[in-house]
Amino acid sequence: MSVGTTQTRQGLGSRLAALSRIVELGPGRVDPKLLTESGQLLLRAGDRLKLSADHTVVALAGGTGSGKSTLFNSISGLELSPTGVRRPTTARAHACVWGLDGAGPLLDWLQIQWRHRFARASALDKGESRLHGLILLDLPDHDSIRALTDTEADRLIQVADLVVWVLDPQKYADASTHRRYVTELAGHEAVTIFVLNQADRLSPEELAECVADLNDLLRREGVEDPVIVTTSATTGEGVDELKTVLADTVARRRAAVQRLEADLDRLTLRLAKAMPDSGAPVPLSSIDDARRIGLTDALCDAVGVPAVGEAMENVYGVRSVEWVGWPYSRWAAKLRPDPLNSLRLGDLRDEIKGLTGGSVSAQAAEVDTAVRALSDGLTVGMHEAWQNGIRDAARSRSAELPQLLSDELSEVAPRLDRVPGWWRLLLVWQYLLVLLFLAGVAWLGTALAYGVFGAGSLPAGLAVFGEAASLPWVGLMVLSVLGLGLLTAVASRNFVMLGAGNERDRLEREMRRRVGTVASAMVIEPVERELARYNEFYSALRGVRG
Amino acid sequence: MNEVAAAAQAKSGGAAASTGESVSPTGKDAAPTGKGAAQAGKDASPGGKSAAQAGGGVPPAGKGVTQAGKNVSPSDKSTAQAGKSAPPVDKGVAQAGRGTTAPPVAGGVSPAGRDVADPPVGKDTSPGKGSAAGSSAAKEASPAGKAVTPPAGKSAPVSRRDGAAVPAGDGGLQAAAPEANAFEAFRRRPRGVLAQSGKIRPEAGAKTPASAASSPEHAPASLQGGGVPPLRASTRKDDPQAESAKANAADADVVTSAETVGEAPGDGSGTGAVESAQRSADSDAAGGVSASALGTDVVSDKTGVSDTTGVSDKTGASEASASSGTTGASEASASSDTAPASGVGAASEAVSGGEEPPGSGPDSDEIVILDDGESVQDEADQGETGEGEADQGETGEGDADREDVEDEVGGEAGETSGDRVRELPLPDAVSEALTNALAALRDSVTGLHFGLDLPGAEEARRAQSEILAQLDDYVIPRIHMSTAPALVVVAGSTGAGKSTLLNTLANAKVSATGVRRPTTGTPVLACHPEDYEWFAEGDLLGSLRRWEAPAPKAEPGSLVLVSTERLPTGVALLDTPDIDSVVEEHHEIAHRMLDAADLWIFVTTAARYADAPAWRLLRLAKERGAKLAIVLSRVPTKSRDVITKHFVRMLTEYGLGEVDRFVINESKVTDGMLPDHEVTELRLWLTELSVDDQRRAQAVQATLSGALDSFRTRIPALARQLEVQVTFRSELRGDVDTAYANALTEIEEATRNGSLLHGEVLARWQDFAGSGDLMRTLHLRRPGRFAGKASQQAPERLSALKSALRAGLESVIVSAAQRAAEETVSRWLHRSGAGEALIETAGLGRVSDELSRRTSRAVGGWQDHIIELIRTEGVTKRAVARLVSFDVESLALIFVIGLLGYGSAEAEGTGGGLPQRLVHALLGAESLRTIGAKARSDLRARIATLFDDETSRYVQALDGAGIPDESVATRLYQATYNLEVAR
Repeated sequence: MSVGTTQTRQGLGSRLAALSRIVELGPGRVDPKLLTESGQLLLRAGDRLKLSADHTVVALAGGTGSGKSTLFNSISGLELSPTGVRRPTTARAHACVWGLDGAGPLLDWLQIQWRHRFARASALDKGESRLHGLILLDLPDHDSIRALTDTEADRLIQVADLVVWVLDPQKYADASTHRRYVTELAGHEAVTIFVLNQADRLSPEELAECVADLNDLLRREGVEDPVIVTTSATTGEGVDELKTVLADTVARRRAAVQRLEADLDRLTLRLAKAMPDSGAPVPLSSIDDARRIGLTDALCDAVGVPAVGEAMENVYGVRSVEWVGWPYSRWAAKLRPDPLNSLRLGDLRDEIKGLTGGSVSAQAAEVDTAVRALSDGLTVGMHEAWQNGIRDAARSRSAELPQLLSDELSEVAPRLDRVPGWWRLLLVWQYLLVLLFLAGVAWLGTALAYGVFGAGSLPAGLAVFGEAASLPWVGLMVLSVLGLGLLTAVASRNFVMLGAGNERDRLEREMRRRVGTVASAMVIEPVERELARYNEFYSALRGVRG
Repeated sequence: MNEVAAAAQAKSGGAAASTGESVSPTGKDAAPTGKGAAQAGKDASPGGKSAAQAGGGVPPAGKGVTQAGKNVSPSDKSTAQAGKSAPPVDKGVAQAGRGTTAPPVAGGVSPAGRDVADPPVGKDTSPGKGSAAGSSAAKEASPAGKAVTPPAGKSAPVSRRDGAAVPAGDGGLQAAAPEANAFEAFRRRPRGVLAQSGKIRPEAGAKTPASAASSPEHAPASLQGGGVPPLRASTRKDDPQAESAKANAADADVVTSAETVGEAPGDGSGTGAVESAQRSADSDAAGGVSASALGTDVVSDKTGVSDTTGVSDKTGASEASASSGTTGASEASASSDTAPASGVGAASEAVSGGEEPPGSGPDSDEIVILDDGESVQDEADQGETGEGEADQGETGEGDADREDVEDEVGGEAGETSGDRVRELPLPDAVSEALTNALAALRDSVTGLHFGLDLPGAEEARRAQSEILAQLDDYVIPRIHMSTAPALVVVAGSTGAGKSTLLNTLANAKVSATGVRRPTTGTPVLACHPEDYEWFAEGDLLGSLRRWEAPAPKAEPGSLVLVSTERLPTGVALLDTPDIDSVVEEHHEIAHRMLDAADLWIFVTTAARYADAPAWRLLRLAKERGAKLAIVLSRVPTKSRDVITKHFVRMLTEYGLGEVDRFVINESKVTDGMLPDHEVTELRLWLTELSVDDQRRAQAVQATLSGALDSFRTRIPALARQLEVQVTFRSELRGDVDTAYANALTEIEEATRNGSLLHGEVLARWQDFAGSGDLMRTLHLRRPGRFAGKASQQAPERLSALKSALRAGLESVIVSAAQRAAEETVSRWLHRSGAGEALIETAGLGRVSDELSRRTSRAVGGWQDHIIELIRTEGVTKRAVARLVSFDVESLALIFVIGLLGYGSAEAEGTGGGLPQRLVHALLGAESLRTIGAKARSDLRARIATLFDDETSRYVQALDGAGIPDESVATRLYQATYNLEVAR
């Protein structure tokens, strides 16, 4: 085994490894038929490479009556395969082996029946050593009515290392040969030989015309530089030439690998066609910040984070009035007739109050839209199969996402009915002021009654309350108490709003952070996995291409 | 339609017949009555009424008639049952037939005949030809039963009991049914039908007319075979009138049968007659002989038969001789009627021929003519289908011909050899009817389009173009000139030596030969100079461009035409491209040539005779029923015997052992020709073909009818593929509908269970309610500060809630639509093949671009609509109205929140039902319900409209594929059916 062969084998090996990677990653993304074929090729390559590398399997293929068996006998020099005028003649493949060592398993693999195996080594071996390592197969035809139900020829044509197409002047342009095999196997030039048999039937001029025509035909079909040998199996003309060509091939011991490479090339072409590379550089395996932010924003909208913040702020403001507002205005409002009460729906008021204790939740439809937007953005230009794959990955946990978001956010969502301590202090303070006001009013009244109108006399200890002179001062005090209450209310309301604003900012930040965490766990991670698969697939595809 | 016309005629005929009896002598009288009858017929044709009317018409004829009418009416009812009953009918009929023929014979028969003829015919006729046959059979049966009258009292009743009469009636009716039924039956199981007809035939052979009766259902083809016998039976019994009636009723087929019947009547003569009739039937069935041949055969039979029968009947029946005369006349009229109806000239001719012999002779002829004219008019009056008119025209022409023919036939009648008859050119009426049928067929095939790439579509497209080419190149030209030169097509593998063979036979290098494969790319036609003009200008292969000399380059659609003295006249050879080389266009050309061939010469070689393509071609030839000869060429002399034997064995295995074979030895080719002695045999064969007109005509006919036969399976196959496409299309359509229906349900669910009230909507609602705006929407009816305050404050939060709601609803709709689009696509993809191509044509996997815009418009419209609803319908409870007023817009929002299911989900917290209660309190339960229902249905309608727009994209994609609707397939079946009938 030459060094070159080893290298090629390694090259082939790595390509096959890449192919097996594709077979692993492909399901659901690649056309199942292609995958099956890839799997079959892998199997065949594995089998063939394990078996004797010293032998070259050469198959004589062609239509019925082209003279395959005659040629077979002519090359082997023995009447091994029966020939005849009845069509079709050969029904089972025959094999002749030059150099038996290690050929057994190979023949087993080729499923050649024992009785159709012949060894040339032990027989008269007169200077045929150049063909040592050749396994020559005489195939049944592929175009007769018998072949419609028998695929042996087809099978062996697919696995032989080298296929010799035996054509004849009558049938060389048959569609059954060209459409089904030659065109299909374009690119196998290195492992295909065309033999124009029955040359004795034509005059030299006709033969030349025929060969030229065949050459044109093959080129039109994509066979570049076809090897065409003219022979006449009956007269023996050209058989030696064919033997020389075969001997060359056998001596190089490369046909098996070349055949597999050619098959691989062909498959790769089809794969590449079926799964075109997007052309763009490999998408980043990690999704960039812009997309993350975009997703988070969209999810936040789905949850209504801004609205929640706003609601919190507003509701705070409204509710704070209950606590820190000026008591007088509250009381005044209560005096107003209540429409609810007039509707006998008084209890609704409590409900409305209770309503503010609601939780945060996500809306499924909007979550879905957000996730979809992400995958759509990511997959622009990708093959449809991958687009779907990534979309599905993105959605893989869509069902639980809304609930998860709701749960997560409920933890941070403020209880809107929360009452901070300072509200209570302020409430006490306000009531204190009210008391002071009342006291002041009482003082005023006393002073007026006793000091101005002289309604009597106060006990000595309380005389000071009865002095008319204190009236202005007391009045001033009462007014300032009122003013103080009002001021306090206004100031504390401002504080409340300020606090609520801060709280809202904090809340929104926190919610956004949590949404981001959830999104990356539930959406981005699966997408990244799928993207990794995508990248791996295409790198494998490039690997197969070699 | 032919059938309709036939029906009408039949009725008229029936009426005429009945009247004829009463009137008896003068043909004229009969004729007028005929009109009246015809009118009755019209009535009948439209629907089931006909039965009753027919019954009415019948009375004049007599008891027998009326009874028949009764019988008929039940049968009408049964009609609906369709074909099933056919078999029973057979029995019944058979019995009836026996009863009649056997003992009571003449006397009994005659009355029966009448009965049968009149009323039933009318009805039957209306449905269809097939039905007509059946009906006639039924009639026969009934008459037999009724035959009761004078003679064989026993036999007659018996037969009835047997159910012959009634069942037969049923059968007949069924058969008759509407065309549609017969047609349906035909369409559903053309094969089955054939098979049945096949069975039937033997029975017919057994002389049981009944069996024939069953046949009507079968395809028209079968009609000929099966249909005829039953008719005969009936006719026998009947007077001529009866016959005529039947004839009218039934189409051409019926007529023939009637005639045959006429034969049967006389017992003594009867047997012979029957036999002859059978013979004719058999011959029809067997040979698949052309229509003309059939017609002629029949005629001959009739003539012979009718003579005897007519006489015997009269005598036995003891009816007035005059009646017999009338009968003759009526028959004639009947025949004429039928002729137009069926459009089969031959049949009518036959009938008339039958008339002559009886003795009424000239009178009858005249009568006939009169009748024809009248009947024709009647038909016209009836306003039958356009075809009917055409038929009339034909008939008009046909009459003259007919007379001629009759004369001829009359003269020949005694001898009547089918062969001689065949030499006559096809009667115009036949070929015209056939032409029309073929033209209709062609039209319907041309219009086909297999838009979806389903499995089989490709084949169907190919079959379609093949059929079209064959129609244009061969069938349509060929039916006009059956005796024209025969076109012998030489076909085979590449390199088999086709061109060499042609050169040798022509003794000139007319076609290029060589070692290059494939050699011949343009077909070359070689013929005798006398035939040259014919081929140069003829319609055969008319679409190909003629060339004088081998075309410089093979150009599709061309044909090289050369003449050579060496070829015998009347036979032209056509060298074709190969059937198996890499150049696939050649295969197509070769097959096209073969489709236009009268005879095939298949050339293969010693090296190739086992090739699969060769055997595919042989199988095709066998399927098409083409006349075939096989040349095994290039046979090495030394192994000639081995190869030949083996080849012959293979041929025999394939059922082609009987085919003419020629072996040509491998020999030196000089100048593109073989030594002449190699082809002596073949040349001889050709010469024979040239000299023996009859043989050639036979071969041509065989191939032609083979081609026509092949339409029987090929066109239904097309239609089936079409139906597959139509079904598939409706499945695809169903996928779309299902997906979007699911989406709609999803949305409904989401708008009901509160799942919409999440996220922003919920937050906004809390904002709205919690910040007190909710309360502010209510204010006491006291103009003042609060109102002002509410209206000032509301907008901000109110509009936020409103737009949140709108956005939420939009996203629910859009996302449902998106899912529906994806579901549709994935469903389509799951249906193999064609779906994929459709999806590629349009970006169907996602919602349309305008959807979100349209959705927001729709949702906005809905919200406005609700406001409007509340404003107009939300009449505030009076008690409330005095106290409280509210802001309509806010209330609408609250209402929507409630409508969307706020409070129905636990997650909502404590506020369950708040909006509902509020709105309820304000508006009252009644208006709340109405508004709620209206709002919901409005929303559904709006979404449905949106989705309609969405689904229209898929429908467009489907329409873009150009799948025809089901009627096209039906038309195909109909065209095939008509073709069969016309044959």
